[in-house]
Amino acid sequence: MKKITISFVCLLILSAFALNADAQKGQLKLNLDYSSSLPLGNFKKDLISNASPRGVNGSFMYGINNKWSAGLSLGYQDYYQKYPRDVYTTGDHEVTSAVLSNSIQTMPVLAKAMFTPLADSKAFIQPYVSLGTGISIVDFSQYLGEFSSTATNASFTVQGGAGIMVPFKKNSGAGFNLGAGYNYTAYNKFGYKNLNSLAFNAGIHFPLK
Amino acid sequence: MKTSHLFTAGLAGMLLFLASCKKEPLNQLTQAESRIYISSYDSAANFSSFKTYNIADSVAVIRDGSSSKQLTAVDQAYIDAVNKYMQQKGYTLVGKDQSPDIGININRIYNTTTGVIDYTDYLDYGTYWDPYYWGYAGYGYYVPYAYGVYQVSEGLLSIDMLDLKNAATKGKIDLLWNGLIRGEGIFNAANADSGIQTLFSQSTYLKSAQ
Repeated sequence: MKKITISFVCLLILSAFALNADAQKGQLKLNLDYSSSLPLGNFKKDLISNASPRGVNGSFMYGINNKWSAGLSLGYQDYYQKYPRDVYTTGDHEVTSAVLSNSIQTMPVLAKAMFTPLADSKAFIQPYVSLGTGISIVDFSQYLGEFSSTATNASFTVQGGAGIMVPFKKNSGAGFNLGAGYNYTAYNKFGYKNLNSLAFNAGIHFPLK
Repeated sequence: MKTSHLFTAGLAGMLLFLASCKKEPLNQLTQAESRIYISSYDSAANFSSFKTYNIADSVAVIRDGSSSKQLTAVDQAYIDAVNKYMQQKGYTLVGKDQSPDIGININRIYNTTTGVIDYTDYLDYGTYWDPYYWGYAGYGYYVPYAYGVYQVSEGLLSIDMLDLKNAATKGKIDLLWNGLIRGEGIFNAANADSGIQTLFSQSTYLKSAQ
């Protein structure tokens, strides 16, 4: 968590050097997004069904040409759910009555490519699709009452996304982002498999000198 | 700085705030929710074949390997609760000299963990206690020694049911059932009844045939 916070402090400092530009080619852009995530599949069924409104994403994207950019994406999402007291089998001929809490933090570090099909058209609203792959650091703590089991893993992650970018003003390289993305994170710990989610993000992008 | 960049910096600050908003699970628990109740049993035992029991009149206090017998108000509350729920399950309390089928012992167990704290890890001390509080804004903290020793004690309550009925023929006293209570507030007499009730209600096999 501390490292993530430090990373975003660095991003904040870099934002002071943001400049406007009207062409993407050769340009380094910073995207900063707030993220709300919805667990899917086994993640939702077995671990956490609550949506997580506690997430951020940041990415540095370099313009290969006007339509394609590639870069590095970092993120953080915190999932938490507390289940009412129930009786769980915890061993041979052993049961435990407990309030069960699951706490999961995912921190994806991804190589990302983004395609903006209308970049040459000067359309005010620019749709995009993106694909990222890399690893997610997954911190998983499961609590029975106040007693926890914890595991930290690096898991393979693929992320596909789509959305729109709207400039603050015409011909500005900076603007708003709005989008959604599907995350597949291969995970296998404590008998739980895969942490897939659908994330909705809103934020800003701006060029860096 | 342009207005949009000021906006950018503001939004980035908001993102920082949101990123720091991890829901800390322990902070979301009440004292009652922090407690866990663990029961285990001998699968070979036929609990319906036992009819009578006796419970020790004091509690063993086991602390880091040494033990003593005590009877505090809390201990008495647990003895009373075990009596109540054993009788609800159909078992009859008899004197120790009347050959009870089951003997029950209650134990308070304290484990002390000793650790070493590395003060050089206290890099964030100033974020917990801003030097401004002491009238020295802008100063840093310095710890002239690196390590300190700490001790943490955790208590738990254990209830054991012993097979006295078959002890003579087996040549040993088998543990039939064990209940463990851990968490906050377990040594509070007001929580004794609900704790024992939970252990007994999740042990549905505990039932005398009489």
